[in-house]
Amino acid sequence: MIYVLYVIVSVICIYTARHYWFTLNRLFAFQRHPYIDIDTADWPPVTVLVAAHNEEKVVANILSALMTVKYPEDKMLVIPVNDRSTDRTREIIDEFVERFPGRIRPFHRKEGKGGKAAALKDAMELVETEVILIFDADYIPGAGLIRQLTAPFFDPEVGGVMGRVVPMNCGTNLLTRLLDLERSGGYQVDQQARMNLRLVPQHGGTVAGVRLSALREIGGWNDTSLTEDTDLTYRLLLHGWKTVYQNRSECYEEVPETWPVRIKQIKRWAKGHNQAMVTYGLHLLLGKHRASLRERVDGTLLLGVYIMAPFTLVGWALALGVFYQGVAPLHGIVAILSVTAYAAIGNLAAFFEIAAAVRLDGSRKRVCLVPFLILGFAVSIFAVSWAAVSQVKDALTGAEFHWDKTERFRKAAS
Amino acid sequence: MNPFLAVTGLILLTSALMVLPLVPALAELHSKSDALPLSVIQQHTGEIRFFADGFRSYMKGVEPTLRECVSSGSHATGTMPDGSEYLVLGRGEEALFLPFRERNEFKPVVIASGSDLLLPSETNFSKDIYSAGSVIGGTKNRYRAILAEKEVRLGRDSSVMRWVHAVGEFSADPACRLYGRVSSDTGVRLSEDCSFLRLNAPYIAIGPNADPKQEGLQVPADVTTHQRLFHDGDFEIRAGEVFLGNLVVRGRLRIGAGARVRGSVKSEKELVLESGASVDGSLISASIMQIGSNCAIRGPVIAERMVLIRNGTHCGTLENHTTVSAPEIQIEEGVVVFGTLWARDQGQVVAEL
Repeated sequence: MIYVLYVIVSVICIYTARHYWFTLNRLFAFQRHPYIDIDTADWPPVTVLVAAHNEEKVVANILSALMTVKYPEDKMLVIPVNDRSTDRTREIIDEFVERFPGRIRPFHRKEGKGGKAAALKDAMELVETEVILIFDADYIPGAGLIRQLTAPFFDPEVGGVMGRVVPMNCGTNLLTRLLDLERSGGYQVDQQARMNLRLVPQHGGTVAGVRLSALREIGGWNDTSLTEDTDLTYRLLLHGWKTVYQNRSECYEEVPETWPVRIKQIKRWAKGHNQAMVTYGLHLLLGKHRASLRERVDGTLLLGVYIMAPFTLVGWALALGVFYQGVAPLHGIVAILSVTAYAAIGNLAAFFEIAAAVRLDGSRKRVCLVPFLILGFAVSIFAVSWAAVSQVKDALTGAEFHWDKTERFRKAAS
Repeated sequence: MNPFLAVTGLILLTSALMVLPLVPALAELHSKSDALPLSVIQQHTGEIRFFADGFRSYMKGVEPTLRECVSSGSHATGTMPDGSEYLVLGRGEEALFLPFRERNEFKPVVIASGSDLLLPSETNFSKDIYSAGSVIGGTKNRYRAILAEKEVRLGRDSSVMRWVHAVGEFSADPACRLYGRVSSDTGVRLSEDCSFLRLNAPYIAIGPNADPKQEGLQVPADVTTHQRLFHDGDFEIRAGEVFLGNLVVRGRLRIGAGARVRGSVKSEKELVLESGASVDGSLISASIMQIGSNCAIRGPVIAERMVLIRNGTHCGTLENHTTVSAPEIQIEEGVVVFGTLWARDQGQVVAEL
């Protein structure tokens, strides 16, 4: 039992060191934004895919925003991917098609496998451009965002690009405020540090882009994956394509406003991430491919972030067990576990990362809410652990993954 | 002490210490004093003309006064709605005789007439300048911002702290320092020893002899190849060779004299483009890039550390504008960039590299 605990403490310490490294790098080191200055170019044709499954509340907002972005009109085609919607999504999209002839080509999917990856896979029959940008329907891109997300593709090594997600409904309640802090830490520090250090910035599947030839090379969208973005990140990496993160390419999104929706969302993320870990983890770390040593190590650690939740719970249980057994040398271990578990927080950006991110964002009072993150952490650690357990159960019983769409809270645009 | 009281006291104290960090959190949760979404740039303020466009709108408030002064040949002073003082000049040359250099003198927004605005030397213009005509500056001046509907010419050893936009050509005499954004709807011409950060114009000519109309790179309108060659270690495209496709090199990359790449290239380490070489796509280096004389690059030129560009090289074409960007750029006279030249930390015109 004690040796298992040693292993758990060691792994948590590695994650703790990683969080410190990222935060210090973000605060004090050179920041890489190599493509953000490309503001003049012979811009390539792009296709913007907007994934929409029952999105009547939000789809009009994103289509309106896309019609006003600063990108040559004749080089940008918007394809709303209406995935088997049963609400007014189709009607709203068709109204926009009529209002903006030639600029929007709808893809109305009436049947087929569920999930975003499956819908995007089917929509690829309409895509003819080398650069593909992807948005979920609840996002609202700014005027310069399409250019910013397209610019990295001038680099022939870049296969994917990811922008920064900023919650727009952060002031609604405690949950949205906590998610706002988490997003801040995850993007402002974690993603940017990985970009700075030439590690593995993660493709987020929205406010993102992918190169068509790279996508074809890696076999297209994987519709068996619950998180097509994580899956894409690793397949690109294994084939020698870089995913780059653009911290200044910001886009508003809507975050969950209720705990059940949040729990469902994070459970899906955890399952998808764990699925990618099982599929690519070993090959990434030890296989023959083009990823550098630092990419192999960081990529493996990134794959492990959601499995750290049950790992930490087991560590706590073991620590309590050995403490009550009265094993003397364990007092130090218990202390280390307590401190590092508090700091590392497996699946979330660590507290100090978040505080640093809030400072970098220039926010003032919201940093006061950091102590409340322990609440979000407690919910997440149990939700993610439960997801891992049910995933193992599903694997043993042969049950198929089920894709759950995240509920929207915005009032429908009139 | 009563053990019961001691334990109760300890529990209360511990609870108080636990709750203490939550007090400011609860206060913020209740007051929502910092609960607005993070300000995201929705209006694309990164657009180089953003400030100039805003200033032009701002100046519309004094258009009637300007018209009156032009027709009467007089000048007028007043206060903008935001409290800034302004000076409207009916005749631009009148500025030469105004007491800008006197201590505690009023430092207004200067507005010129349709005639050119002539500015004295060795003067600090601490407010924005607008001219409906051209702006011809004296030597050793210091400007905050300039917007001109025709040309702007800065005298030797002048500096601009924030931005300049000229509808006509912008030119800077030797040793000027351009700390902010400089843009022109016509063209930009810099002289020797000028330093710069961000320039944008249909052409940016370095030195008096750089000719934007001179025939540059002849390339097909669209490079359609998506084939990619990946090479670990150093790589060389020999002189005169034609390489078709995109190239990614994990080491150093040397493109020999007169060689041509029909695609885009990226190197993780130093990238050297020898004289007369050409690239139809983009040129990217994660390190330092050296571009020899008389080269031609059609797409963006991006280096993560430094770019050195020798004379006679053209980046972009008159029809296809592009971006040259790096933290540090050193550029010889005779170079022409069509589009954007952006040095994040420092850009410098040098006589010889």
